[in-house]
Amino acid sequence: MSENFSRRDFLKLAGLGAATTAVLTGCGPASRFVRREPYMQMPEYTYNGLSTYYATTCRECAAGCGLVVRTMQGRAIKTEGNTNHPLNLGKTCARGQATLQGLYNPDRVTDPIQKARGTALGRESGNLLDWDAAIQVAADALGKHKPEEIAFLLGLAPDHLDDLVRELAEATGINPPLRFGALSMFEARATLSRAAENLFGKSGIPYFDIGGAQVVFSFGANFLETWLSPVSYTRGFAQMREALSKRRGTFVQFEPRLSSTGAKADEWIPIRPGTEALVALTIGRLAFELIGGALPRAFSDVDPMQAAAKSGVKLETLQRLAALFAGSPHSLAIPGGPALGLKNGLSVAEAVLALNAIPNNFGKPGGVFFSAPAPGQMESSRAASTREMRDFITKLADGDIKVLFIHGVNPVFELPAEMGFKDALQNVEQVISFATFPDETALEADFILPDHHGLESWGYQQVGTGTAQSVLSGAQPVVSPFYNTRATVDVLLAAAKLAGGAFAQALPYVDEVAFVQHRIAPLMRESGGPFSAPEIGAFSAYFQQHGGWWKKGTDLLPPNPADVLNRDLDQTESEFVGEGEFFLVPFVSPTLAEAGANKPWLQELPDPTTTVMWNTWVEMNPATAHDLHIENEDVVVITSEAGEVEAPVYLYPAIRPDTIAIPFGQGHSSYGRYAAGRGANPADLFGLHFNQAGDLAFAGMKVTVRKTDRKQALSRMESLMGVYGEGLGQEK
Amino acid sequence: MNSKIPEIKLSEEQTGKWGMVIDQDICTGCQACVAACAMENNLSFVGEVDAGYGRSMHWIRIERFWEGEYPEVKMTPGQPMMCQQCGSAPCEPVCPAFATVHSQAEQLNLQVYNRCVGTRYCANNCPYQVRSFNWRDYVRPEPLPNQLNPDVTVRRMGVMEKCTFCIQRIHKAEDKAKSEGRELTDGEFTTACAQACPANAITFGRIDQPESLVSQLIRKHGHGVKHLEELGTLPSVTYFKGG
Repeated sequence: MSENFSRRDFLKLAGLGAATTAVLTGCGPASRFVRREPYMQMPEYTYNGLSTYYATTCRECAAGCGLVVRTMQGRAIKTEGNTNHPLNLGKTCARGQATLQGLYNPDRVTDPIQKARGTALGRESGNLLDWDAAIQVAADALGKHKPEEIAFLLGLAPDHLDDLVRELAEATGINPPLRFGALSMFEARATLSRAAENLFGKSGIPYFDIGGAQVVFSFGANFLETWLSPVSYTRGFAQMREALSKRRGTFVQFEPRLSSTGAKADEWIPIRPGTEALVALTIGRLAFELIGGALPRAFSDVDPMQAAAKSGVKLETLQRLAALFAGSPHSLAIPGGPALGLKNGLSVAEAVLALNAIPNNFGKPGGVFFSAPAPGQMESSRAASTREMRDFITKLADGDIKVLFIHGVNPVFELPAEMGFKDALQNVEQVISFATFPDETALEADFILPDHHGLESWGYQQVGTGTAQSVLSGAQPVVSPFYNTRATVDVLLAAAKLAGGAFAQALPYVDEVAFVQHRIAPLMRESGGPFSAPEIGAFSAYFQQHGGWWKKGTDLLPPNPADVLNRDLDQTESEFVGEGEFFLVPFVSPTLAEAGANKPWLQELPDPTTTVMWNTWVEMNPATAHDLHIENEDVVVITSEAGEVEAPVYLYPAIRPDTIAIPFGQGHSSYGRYAAGRGANPADLFGLHFNQAGDLAFAGMKVTVRKTDRKQALSRMESLMGVYGEGLGQEK
Repeated sequence: MNSKIPEIKLSEEQTGKWGMVIDQDICTGCQACVAACAMENNLSFVGEVDAGYGRSMHWIRIERFWEGEYPEVKMTPGQPMMCQQCGSAPCEPVCPAFATVHSQAEQLNLQVYNRCVGTRYCANNCPYQVRSFNWRDYVRPEPLPNQLNPDVTVRRMGVMEKCTFCIQRIHKAEDKAKSEGRELTDGEFTTACAQACPANAITFGRIDQPESLVSQLIRKHGHGVKHLEELGTLPSVTYFKGG
């Protein structure tokens, strides 16, 4: 495309051709999209046999990687990474690759619909609306209620919709939007942020420069799977391991169940659940004893002998690891994953972060930083902790909220059933969902006003962590909307206009693109960006063409290390809830994550450690299973204080005998044909116990396991004869 | 022997044209390559039951094995396994329909779908177990077919398929270079798996050119391994073992 003729200008012209449509629907935005044309009326820049490529942002998780999507004749053919995007540098994960199976999913919500709550989606179960009526519904919902009775629940990604609703809330007094996702629960983001606040005097998600480290100790952090920003952390891991240019880095993982991240470690320490903080502090003490000098207050109280006994890690091992950690100026300790989902998760996070004071790597290459703030990122805009979600649900149950708008999150599935989100909705007069797919939460709504798929949408997303640069990732439609859906921002703008009063004044934007331009306009005055333009039209075109805006050079902030070790750190073991004999480690499926289950190719990807496809399994140590007379694929019932879950057993050689593990991601009751009725949801087991920072103590349970007399075959990539000779009938 | 059928040279020195280098030390087993391959090459998904029978259509899979017992247990480094594009391929001579043949121009093992009659001899004879057979016409409900890559044939029941080293990308890049009157340069394009790999564990390129990135990596690393080399298959994929 020529430089003085922007894509936006082109689309304006293309829009003239589509004027009839625009008049009929009464909307400008339709003209912004490239339409699918029959071959006879091909738009002049589209040639048979040539692809066009559009830069946009991946919406499969909240990391915000840049994509370039190959399209052909108005169809999206393949997603690739955007090689210029600082977060992923041209790479993608499996979920990013499979995003087209969401776009062209056969079970999308195709039209705005009014329906009875709890019914499956079908033309017979609800009234299809036209968009004018649908917008009127949203307008009435806004205009006919008191501001404090209106609430928005949004997904984890800090995007332009979040900014719009925040603006609306500030101007009108409705409740500020809550952002939540199952990943923020499993990553315990609030805990990480609080630990940073306690140690460094400033909250925020830390950034770990794995690529520059020589020794990495990870306490449960699953940074090669779904944690925070997996593509960029995987790149960091590869740099750390790169043996050709420098000494190969060493990686040690501490966790009771070997995760797919832990499988890449040079050494796996199967630590007793609950002793993570104790072990971290012990390593700190032993390391300081090796270095010499006065023992700092943080590490002075631990007794290595006792720690070894409690954690099940030999004293010699602890000493060896301490020597390894103390022996490099580029050692790095990372807290994350199930280790933070303990009742003492905050203590674990603090103890592990404090280890970084031994090489004092704060703000240095290979060390700990604060993530670079994205352009426009506000301190107040952070994801809700699970306890904040519980408080919100209490408000819903009390009838304080009359209208609830839900976008980009599926709380009925993602939150523990015990939290009662579904029941609380009974006390909300009107629930309006913007879901793209008929997920469990959308089915509980009165109206579904479907948003476009991410690849059909305008917008931007702040990149919260994962890169040294300050990045605002740009999104544009790569294809025209496939169904009769409409951008949620456009719906809200139109509804606010209809609602009148403060609402109309709060959002004076013509449409979604105008709003995005309004928000990115301040970047025109910033220096250090990848492009510049004198006026917003051209700037906005460059923004879409490049896939976003980022500053050259690092914007990472060094934490203040002054007081890290000059404090008492809690070493007590975590308490566990429940009477069972097994520790339960729930983990996010590395291939499905929280919302991948509706994409058939993600279902057919083998889990990296077990190679199981299409289902849920329970991991159990073979020795334990032998004692309990449990064989592979025997269905067991796991019982916690909160509920029961049934799933077949997978004999997993790399898990502690006193621990079982179960992946999160399956167990949908709706969400399309590929997800519904498949596997089990471990969130049904979670009781309402929180760590000190308000994140759910999802790994702080003890459960019982009962064998049933049923078997269920698990589809797996590995040969059934492979692991223990079961296929040969040799199992004891 | 019919003089029109070229005789396959069986020499130790013979190298292919295109090759791959895989660093298992940094492969995390994340399955991004598997998904990328499926999206690029119009692979069918087969569903839970058929996948359980080992009929899934993965052209690339990540192998992993266990060593030792708890607590000294270790998972071996992820081993992406795809068609090794053998210089002397066991699959080729057994095909009665000449559906699996050697490309003289590209030095690749071709699979000609419209010749394949589904004897599955080639899969039986492949020591790497990388061929997958279409046991059914697998259903892609509308509108999923919209994402099909027009550069790649959609296969039907009774046809064998396997990794092609993304031959459609090779041809596209060669055509482009030719139309611009120049030689194809190393790194100008890559396969879908290598392009997606977040760890950069897979590198694709010309193994017959000493200055190409793959050749440099093989030299630099020094101890690359070719799988089942002792069978005389002359594979084009070199693995760097982890650890």
